[in-house]
Amino acid sequence: MSLFGSTSGFGTGGTSMFGSTTADNHNPMKDIEVTSPPDDSISCLAFSPPTLPGNFLIAGSWANDVRCWEVQDNGQTIPKAQQMHTGPVLDGCWSDHDAPVKTIHWIKAPNYSCVMTGSWDKTLKFWDTRSPTPMMTLQLPERCYCADVVHPMAAVATAERGLIVYQLENQPSEFRRIESPLKHQHRCVAIFKDKVNKPTGFALGSIEGRVAIHYINPPNPAKDNFTFKCHRSNGTNTSAPQDIYAVNGIAFHPVHGTLATVGSDGRFSFWDKDARTKLKTSEQLDQPISACCFNHNGNIFAYASSYDWSKGHEFYNPQKKNYIFLRNAAEELKPRNKK
Amino acid sequence: MTICQFFLQGRCRFGDRCWNEHPRGGGGRPHSAGPVRGAGGGWGAASQRYANVIQPPIFKHSTWGGSGDGGGFSGASDFGSPGNKSAVFSQNRFSALSSAHPADGFSDEEQRLLDCVAKDMATWESSGQWMFSCYSPEAGKPNVSGFREFSAEEVRLEYYNCSANNNTENYINSVNQLVQEWRNRLQELKALNASGKESLLSQLKNAVTQPLPSLGFGGQQASSFGFPSFPVSSSSSAASFSFKANPSVPPGNAAAVGSSAAASNPPTFGVTSSPSVPNPVGSGNSSAPSAASFSFKTSGTTSGCGTSGLSGFGSSAAANSSSTAPLPVSATPSAATGTSQSGASSASAAQTAGASGHNVTSAPSAVPNGIASDKLYTPRSELTAEELEQFEAKRFTLGKIPLKPPPIDLLYL
Repeated sequence: MSLFGSTSGFGTGGTSMFGSTTADNHNPMKDIEVTSPPDDSISCLAFSPPTLPGNFLIAGSWANDVRCWEVQDNGQTIPKAQQMHTGPVLDGCWSDHDAPVKTIHWIKAPNYSCVMTGSWDKTLKFWDTRSPTPMMTLQLPERCYCADVVHPMAAVATAERGLIVYQLENQPSEFRRIESPLKHQHRCVAIFKDKVNKPTGFALGSIEGRVAIHYINPPNPAKDNFTFKCHRSNGTNTSAPQDIYAVNGIAFHPVHGTLATVGSDGRFSFWDKDARTKLKTSEQLDQPISACCFNHNGNIFAYASSYDWSKGHEFYNPQKKNYIFLRNAAEELKPRNKK
Repeated sequence: MTICQFFLQGRCRFGDRCWNEHPRGGGGRPHSAGPVRGAGGGWGAASQRYANVIQPPIFKHSTWGGSGDGGGFSGASDFGSPGNKSAVFSQNRFSALSSAHPADGFSDEEQRLLDCVAKDMATWESSGQWMFSCYSPEAGKPNVSGFREFSAEEVRLEYYNCSANNNTENYINSVNQLVQEWRNRLQELKALNASGKESLLSQLKNAVTQPLPSLGFGGQQASSFGFPSFPVSSSSSAASFSFKANPSVPPGNAAAVGSSAAASNPPTFGVTSSPSVPNPVGSGNSSAPSAASFSFKTSGTTSGCGTSGLSGFGSSAAANSSSTAPLPVSATPSAATGTSQSGASSASAAQTAGASGHNVTSAPSAVPNGIASDKLYTPRSELTAEELEQFEAKRFTLGKIPLKPPPIDLLYL
C-alpha cells in the first residue's frame, strides 16, 4: 500500500506524470492521471464496492463508451475493459452483475435487488435485471436530473426544482416531496449518513454555485438545514459581480462524512458540513470537473476533468483531452473537529 | 388596570394577551432590545438569529434569499465574515420596520420578493451561470414562469444529434432563440412595471401547491420542453451561439404559456418545425420523453392523447407507442425524439409567429382557453372538426396535431 495508504507525497508515484506542465494547467494539483482516458467528456465516475477486491474505477463518457480501470496501490491504472453503447453514457454505477447506464443506481434491499433508473422521460423505473420489463415504474413530476441511493433511502431531483425522497423498504414508494431549498436548476444530489450509518439527509447542488444540506427529519429544520455558496469566483467581495458556476457533482467520504464538490469552474472543494466549514479548495483546472467519487474506504478521490457544456457548444473542443485524476483522500477530508 | 411591569421593561411574555395594561410609550423597547446578537460568533450564533422568534420571519427569508448571504455560510469561498453579515442583517431589519411603502400598493413581503427577484436577475445576468434553468425567488415558492429549463446534458445531446445529421445550424438557431427568450424574460423581471409585478406576485402566491407543472396545463412553467430546433429566421450559418451576444431573433418574447401578463406571442410550439429534417431520428429532440410520458398513463408509452400547447409532442406520443419501456437504456431516446421532430417538420412552412397551420394560430389567441386553462379534457363542442378527426384517428397526422386536450370520451384509460 505504498501509495494510497500513506500520506507522503504521492505525486511521485510512477504513473503518467505528463511532463513539465509549464503553460499547461490541466493538472495543477499534480494528481495521478488515469491512463487512456475516454475520448470525449466524462459524465460519471464510480468506484467498485468493497466486496470486489481491489479498486476498479469506471467512467462513462459522451464518446458512447464505458471504460474500466483497475487502480493499483502504487497509483498505476490499467485499462481493463471498454464497452460501447449506442448513445452517450450519462451515468454509471457498480453492481454485482453488470454496469448499466443512464441515471442509475443499484438497490440491494433485504427482500429484493434491482436497478433503479431515472430518466428524462419523467419516470423512475425499477428493473430486475433478469427481465426485460421493469418491476415497477413511478412517475416523476419532471425529467429526472440526478439521483442517489443509500439503502433504504433514495433521493431524486428533477427539473423544475422537483425533489422527491423515496423509501425502499419492501417496495420503493414515494416518501416525501420536498420543497427545493434552492432557487435554480438542480444538478446533483448525494445522500449522507449519520453516525450510525443510516441515511439521514442529502446534499443538493444547483447550477447556481450553491449546495443545500437538507436533513429528512431534523430536530430543528430552520437551524439544521442550510445552504452554502461554492464554486464562485471573486469570493468575499460581494460588490463586484461574481462568476457563478454549476456544481457538477457531490460525493461524501464514506468514513469521515465530509463531502467533496466539483464544479464547472474546474475546481474541487472539500467541506465539513457539521462544522460548516470548508476544508480545502483546489487550484483551478483548465476544464470543468464533470464528475467525482470516492472509493469504498475513502482513500481515493477520483475526479474527471472534461467539458460539461456549461458554456454551450462554442466552447466545446473535441480535440481537448479528457482526464480522470486520482487523489489520496485519507488525510484531507478529515473533519475539522474530531467528534 | 395595573400597568404591566414586564412590558415596561420590554419583556412581557403575554404580549397582547396580557391582563395588565401595556402603555403605548413602552412599546418600542422590545424591538430595540432584539438585535444583532452574537455578531462575531460562529455558526451557532448565526443560526440562532434566524430562528429567533423576536424578529419577524421576514428576515430569515430575506437574508437567506438575498444574494448577499447564503443561509448558513456566507461569502463565496469562505465561511464567516460575520461582521459583514450582521451589517446586512441589521440594515434589513430597520428597513422593514420603517413602515412599508403603501404607495406601491405592495406589502412588505411582496416588496421584498420583488426586490429579491430583481436582484437575482441582475446576478444571473452577470454571473455567467447556466441560463436554461428554472427560477424561484425563495424556497417554497413555485417557479417563476417564462424560464425554460434544460440541463446541459440535454442541450449537449441535442448538439450531438444535430451534428450527426449535419444539422448544427438548427441547433445553433434554436439555442440562440432560447437564449434570446431567456434574456427577454430576464430583462422583464429586472424592470417590472406595475402590471408585471401584479402578475408575478399572484403567480408566486397562487401556485404554491403546484409542484407538477409538467402536466403542461396552464400553470407556471413551460415545462413543455421541446428543444425546439426550429429555425427562427432562415439559417444564419455563422450564428454565433455564444451565451452572450445575440443575433436578432425576431419572435422576441415567445414566453411561456401565457400566465405572465407581460408575455406576448406564445406560439413556441407551433413553431417547432424545422424545415427539412430528412432523418427524423437524427434531429433528435431530447424533449420527446417529456411529452411521451406526459400522457395520462403511467408507463412510458403513450397513446394519442392530445396535449395542450405541445403540438409537436402529440405526435411523439402517438408514434412513441412503439418504443417500449426501456427508454433510458441508451440514454438517447432516439425513437421518441425522431418522431417529435418529424411531427414538427411537416408543418414546416412555418417559421415564427404563427404560421404553421390553423392549430398554431389558434393557440396564441386561444391561450386562455386551450393552454392556460386547467382543463384536462376538451368538450367536443370546442374542438374543430379537424381536431376531432385527429383525435379519433388511430394516429395523429403530422402537422395537424391538435393543441387542445382530447375530449374525455375518446380516451382509453
